[in-house]
Amino acid sequence: MPDVSVLKCRKCGALDAGPRLLCPNCRSRALEAAQVEGKGTLLSWTIIRRAPAKMKALAPYAVCVVDLEAGVRVTGRLQAVDAALRPGARVRCAALEGGVAIFSAEA
Amino acid sequence: MRSVSVAGIGSTAFGRLPNMPIEALAVEAAATGLEDARIDQREIGALYLGNFISGPLTGQEVLAGIVGDNLGLPNVPCTKVEGACASGGIAFRHAVLAIATGQCDAALVVGVEKMTHATTPDVTAALNCAMDNRADGVSGLTFPGLFGIAWRVHTQRYGTNREQVSAVVMKNKRNGLKNPLAQMGANLTAEQIAASALICDPLQLYDCCPASDGAAALVLVASDRLDRKDRVDVAATVQTRGAARIAGHPDLCSFDATVQAARRAYEQSGLSPKDIDFVELHDCFSIAEVIDSEDLGIAPRGKGAVYAAEGRTAVGGEIPINPSGGLLAKGHPVGATGVGQLYEATLQLRGKHPNQVQGAAIGLTHNLGGTGVACTVNILKRSDA
Ligand SMILES: [Zn+2]
Repeated sequence: MPDVSVLKCRKCGALDAGPRLLCPNCRSRALEAAQVEGKGTLLSWTIIRRAPAKMKALAPYAVCVVDLEAGVRVTGRLQAVDAALRPGARVRCAALEGGVAIFSAEA
Repeated sequence: MRSVSVAGIGSTAFGRLPNMPIEALAVEAAATGLEDARIDQREIGALYLGNFISGPLTGQEVLAGIVGDNLGLPNVPCTKVEGACASGGIAFRHAVLAIATGQCDAALVVGVEKMTHATTPDVTAALNCAMDNRADGVSGLTFPGLFGIAWRVHTQRYGTNREQVSAVVMKNKRNGLKNPLAQMGANLTAEQIAASALICDPLQLYDCCPASDGAAALVLVASDRLDRKDRVDVAATVQTRGAARIAGHPDLCSFDATVQAARRAYEQSGLSPKDIDFVELHDCFSIAEVIDSEDLGIAPRGKGAVYAAEGRTAVGGEIPINPSGGLLAKGHPVGATGVGQLYEATLQLRGKHPNQVQGAAIGLTHNLGGTGVACTVNILKRSDA
C-alpha cells in the first residue's frame, strides 16, 4: 500500500493535503513533504462522465474525498465503484497517479 | 453609514444571444437601468462590473472602462470585480459601500457574461478557472462533480432521494415559464428528470443550469436623494470567503461561506429568516438549492428537498424560493447572475414581477462562487416595510 504524500509544517507540526505556500495555522514557510499511511474513511464520491479536456482519456472516473487516519482530508480518485459502496467505507491508497492518490475499498 | 436604495434596474434576457457582443449586453442592461432610474449618466460616481471569464471566452478585458465609456459616464472609477459565480453580488456590495461611506451619491452596478458562442470544452475549461487548480484540478474534479459529492453526503445523512430533489427542478423550471427573461422554463415530469443523462452521479442533466449570455444592471443612490414611491432599500449586504478547495470544507454538504454571510446579513438588518418573504438563491445545481436553503436558515438542516417536495418553496408557499426560475431555468451568465437576482428581487418588491409573490416586502439574494470560496448575501426591503 503506497503512502500518501502530504505537507507537514516544521514549526507547528500541522498536516495539510497541499499544495500550499504557507502553513495555514502558523504561517511558517517551512513546509516539508511527509508520507502518511494511505488508510482512511471514504466521505463521498462522484463519477465524472464529462471530463475537462486534459482528463478526457481517463473518463469516466470517480473523484472522492477521504479522511486519512493521519488526520488529513484529501481529494483523490477511486479505483473502482461497485453498487455496494457507501460513504463511510474503509478505503486504502492502492496507487499514485501524477501525485493523485487512487483509493480502493478494503476487502 | 448612509442608507442606500435601488433607483433603477435593467436586464437583457438570459439565454443564447448570438448577435450581442459582451459589451453590448452590458451597455444595454445599464442603459435600461439609467432610464428606469430617470437619472443623468453624469450623476454616476462609480461603476462596479461583475464578470468572471470575459478574458478566456471573448478575449476582452477592461470591460468596466469600456462600458463606462460607452455610457458616457464622467471620469469616475470603473472597476471590474471577479469572484467566479459570485462576481455580480460582489460588484453590488462594492457599489453599496461606495455610497454608504460617502464616496459618491449614485453608483452603477453591472453584471455580464458571454458564453454560448464558445465550445463546451472551452466553457468547461474556463469555468474550471474557479477552482484551485493545483489542489482540486489535478484530481479531475469538475463543478457538477463537487455537487454530486455533496448530494451523496446529503442522501447518506438525511435520506434525501431523487424524487424530492426533482421537486426543486420542477418548481424552478415551472417558475421560469412565467419569466420572459428566462432561458429554459419548462413543464417537466419527475419521470423526464429521472430519465435524463447522468452527468456526475447522482446529478443528471436536468439538475444542471445551462450556459448563458446575459447582463443585468442596477442604479444605486443614497436613500435621501431618492423620491420614489416604490423605493427599495438595501437592508444588508455581506460578502464572505470560504474554503478554496473541496477538502477544505469541514462539512461536504454545507457551505460555511453561506452560513456566515447569512448570519451577518440577519444581524446587519435586524431580521431573521422568518421575516423573509422570498429568496433568490444560487441553484447552479438542484442539490445546491437544497443545501443553500438550509445554510441560509430558510429550511431546517436536512429538510431542504422535503420543503420543495411539500410545495413550501413554491410561489404561494410559505417561503417562495427562486420565483424567477433561478439559475436552473432563468440561466446562468456567470458574472451577471448575482445582479440578475437583485433585479428580480427589486421587481418583486415593486410588486411588478411576472411571477409575483403576494405582499412581498423583504427579499433575500444569495450568490455563491467557486467551490464555495466567495459568497454574498443581500437583503432588500420595501422602504415602507
Ligand atoms: Zn505551522
